Amino acid sequence: MGESFRFPLSVVDGVRLEKPLRDALLPGRIIYDENGHARRLPRYFYEIPSWEQAMKVQLSPNFALWEFIQTDVREAAPLRGFPRYIPCAITLLAASLERFREAVGTFVHIAANGGYRSPRHALSINATPHCWGTAVNIYRIGDVYLDDRESIERYAALARQLLPGAWTRPFGNTRGQTDDHLHLDLGFVLSMPRGAPEAHLGFSAERRAV
Amino acid sequence: MTVPTTSQYTPPHAEALDALRTRFDEIEQKSGARAIGVAVYDTETRLTFHRNGDRWFHAASTIKVAILVGVYASIHHGWLLPQSRLHVRNRFFGAVDGSPFRVLADRDANSEVHSAIGKMMRVSELARHMIATSSNLATNLLLDLVGLDTVQRSLDELSIDGIDIRRGVEDEHAFEQGINNRVTADGLAQLLRLIAEERAFSPSLSRDMLDILHAQEFKQGIPARLPRAVRVAHKTGDISTVAHDAGVVYPEGRKPYVIAVLTEWSPSDSGRSATIADVSHAVYDLLTSVGGGRG
Repeated sequence: MGESFRFPLSVVDGVRLEKPLRDALLPGRIIYDENGHARRLPRYFYEIPSWEQAMKVQLSPNFALWEFIQTDVREAAPLRGFPRYIPCAITLLAASLERFREAVGTFVHIAANGGYRSPRHALSINATPHCWGTAVNIYRIGDVYLDDRESIERYAALARQLLPGAWTRPFGNTRGQTDDHLHLDLGFVLSMPRGAPEAHLGFSAERRAV
Repeated sequence: MTVPTTSQYTPPHAEALDALRTRFDEIEQKSGARAIGVAVYDTETRLTFHRNGDRWFHAASTIKVAILVGVYASIHHGWLLPQSRLHVRNRFFGAVDGSPFRVLADRDANSEVHSAIGKMMRVSELARHMIATSSNLATNLLLDLVGLDTVQRSLDELSIDGIDIRRGVEDEHAFEQGINNRVTADGLAQLLRLIAEERAFSPSLSRDMLDILHAQEFKQGIPARLPRAVRVAHKTGDISTVAHDAGVVYPEGRKPYVIAVLTEWSPSDSGRSATIADVSHAVYDLLTSVGGGRG
């Protein structure tokens, strides 16, 4: 990625999307986490025109965009086709994962439904950072499947050490725990890259300039 | 295969059916099976035949035919597409108390689905693995997706009695508590008859299900003693105490017949598949031989 590199995806304001997409993405809306805390959903998204583009776009040296958008039939129907939308914070997640990837020194595999999923995805029962594009479920690192206490806790500890403020789900098989992947998230981060429309502030960029 | 427009076959005479019953008694006695249930429906002559047809057996993997029907009911209703993708995850919730369990790879007949853990597979691929190689992981994934209620409602919608689905497979805790899927030979034969006659939801979906049943890789039961040219679309089921096979048989030159053979055994008994093959062969002989089913 040299000086001439330009990020190829455009930023869109979710509230300006067509209704079926707005109903699936719920841009800027409040939803509640498992503790009853209100969380505001992302409003700005990168538009992904096609699967080919998702395959092509590198978010970091070792993570391509497609790895974060693999959702199954449980995803809301308007988000199973293209163009598809992903919260802008996905780039922050990829940068963090790259740091983790460098430390483990081998491939890091993100599970299906384990990257971004919309608040209308059948697995998004409460507000989860997956709906912010700031969480991943890692099911395999190199040849190791993360399906036991030893592997999950070892890599969770490493992630927390490398990424201050990151949260990992504890090992276990009850609600709120994990026993077949490492869940890693950055919390409910909202990202508004330069170039994002500013209509949400109540005035346009042009009016402010005057 | 040529199907005659005017059938040269007629239903077997009462004496022939009595002889078949006697033959089944002999097979049961010789094999040492605790029980043998048989149901036959011939689409050529409309003959129906039952022996212990309403007796309940542990379903073993024959329940996968009902789950297949539940999946295709979901496709019929527009909730799913055959090409819909599903996350392959080996984590399920037990029927007794919802505690999680996994399908052990070394107890599963299929390794391909296990090797896709973490990734996605198409619903149609999983359905094929569920039937053709009896993948328990594929079975639980599909059942988890469509739900027990959908499967049971689909059976009700098709007016099928004799199939009682209560859980996924490999749920050891439920097994210990006696919570098991059950089938009768009549129930399986009713369901397979609807599929064979292309009346399960739509002709197209019925044919899709038949294609999957034709892909069956375990052939030691119904097809084992039939001529090679005879195609069989079927599903087997085998655990320590039962061995079953149920399917649609396509003899050359005539319309198909449906047969379900359910058998129950002591865990130490052997010769299960051979017994099913003997029953299947006896039915085939009757329906295709001169003086039996041929007019």
